[in-house]
Amino acid sequence: MTDPYEVLNIPPTASDDEVKKAYRDLARKYHPDNYHDNPLADLAQEKMKEINAAYDTIQRQRGAKGSSSGSAYGYGSTAQQRSYYGGYQQQYQQHAGSSAFQRVRMAINQGNLAAAEQMLGQMDDHNGEWNFLKGTICYRRGWMDEARQYYQTACQMDPSNAEYRQALNFMENGQSGYRPQGYEVFSTGCGQDNMCGRALCAYLMCNLCSCGGMRFFWC
Amino acid sequence: MFGYVLPSRDRLTEADKQRFRAVYCGLCRALGERYGLAARFILNYDFTFLAVLLWDGGDVEADHRRCIAHPLSGRDCFPGNEALALAADCSVILSWWQLQDALADPGKGKARYRAAALALQNAYERARERRPGFDGSTRAQLERLRALEEARCSSMDESADTFAVLLSGIAGEVADPVKRRVLEQLLYHLGRWIYLVDAADDLAEDFASGSYNPLLERFALEEGRLTEEAREGLVLSLDSSIRLMAAAYELWDFGAWSNVIRSVVYEGLFCVGRAVLEGTFHAAGGLRAPGGRNEEPL
Repeated sequence: MTDPYEVLNIPPTASDDEVKKAYRDLARKYHPDNYHDNPLADLAQEKMKEINAAYDTIQRQRGAKGSSSGSAYGYGSTAQQRSYYGGYQQQYQQHAGSSAFQRVRMAINQGNLAAAEQMLGQMDDHNGEWNFLKGTICYRRGWMDEARQYYQTACQMDPSNAEYRQALNFMENGQSGYRPQGYEVFSTGCGQDNMCGRALCAYLMCNLCSCGGMRFFWC
Repeated sequence: MFGYVLPSRDRLTEADKQRFRAVYCGLCRALGERYGLAARFILNYDFTFLAVLLWDGGDVEADHRRCIAHPLSGRDCFPGNEALALAADCSVILSWWQLQDALADPGKGKARYRAAALALQNAYERARERRPGFDGSTRAQLERLRALEEARCSSMDESADTFAVLLSGIAGEVADPVKRRVLEQLLYHLGRWIYLVDAADDLAEDFASGSYNPLLERFALEEGRLTEEAREGLVLSLDSSIRLMAAAYELWDFGAWSNVIRSVVYEGLFCVGRAVLEGTFHAAGGLRAPGGRNEEPL
């Protein structure tokens, strides 16, 4: 088995607090919320399992002083983690109004976007659910502009639906996503001059070098 | 590709900066060794970042070399490896097809493109032999893009998808299956982001000339500028792509390059996008300080 300290990227001499902190940082990074409808969600889930296992191992080795620290931060033990992902799929199925939509949701869950899209294409009633699922397919593909438009339509058609609202919020307020220590919340649109005024590596090294030629060709 | 991908200088350590310089010079050298002098002129930061993403394994020793751009002082430079070779091959192919695209565009002055294409012809033919798959997909995607342009496609996602798919195709050359998946996603959104930022950069010019621009088809304009609502929509789209790049980055250990890539996907791209939207980014010189003074070199 891999060295649990290596997985958490800390020395074996780390204090209990340091272990906890390292675990929390990594758990925040690979949290399912950051990989919601992401084609790489399975890789994130693997990472999460490794981290949870490493943390549990260290806790066991150290005799788990105090409370059941494994799940103390809500990122949780492996079991909790599993239930989160499972819960997500269950949610998908519960909300499905009809079996046709249910089949679309299953195809999306399996990553078969083409099939899901084809099934939606055969439906005449473009209701809230239809728009939501269309948006989910777009989101998975990385077509963010269209995903947002479909989510918006879904929310307009069915304002009380929490799932649709959550998907739109996730797109529009992505700041909840993980950031490395020391990095602020950034947006292409924000007006935080102090941060965005930070000098970029423009004119990196050689003004004389070839880059000038390229610019001449293209611009 | 146009040189929009820049790390945030303040986030880099001295060692990071040296490495980034050495990979830039290493790519220039790989282009020269594989394709001759003319090919060196296509070098830019986007291709450099591509080499960084493709980098495999640990550190290699940079050597100090004199070159045509630095005949006296010389520069630290990474010797050729698989990542630099791949980045060089893909750069040549991409530049060639972009030139062909520019030549096919009736709206633009032709002489300089023709001269550039002539200079790049031999290099392109060698690159095509080395990477027939990437050459084929690049050609196919740019043809798809041209059809969308002619149809005045109003879905910016669909237009951007062409360049995104094209870039993500480079991941197909990566052997490790996990790294390949991570790079497919990362390069897809990098390509998408570059395409949309470039469209935003060209907005005023395309508005004046009537050339196709996905943002002009998609959004409402007021006096040749995006409305506040349109701008917000574009910002959300760009931000989402950057966040997905960061999420993908976290799933692979990029070793000694981690800090450089992190500074790009958690900060640099946001800042460049913002500068482009505000009209303060000039492709010819990267970011400029408010007074018009160029940023000092790294």
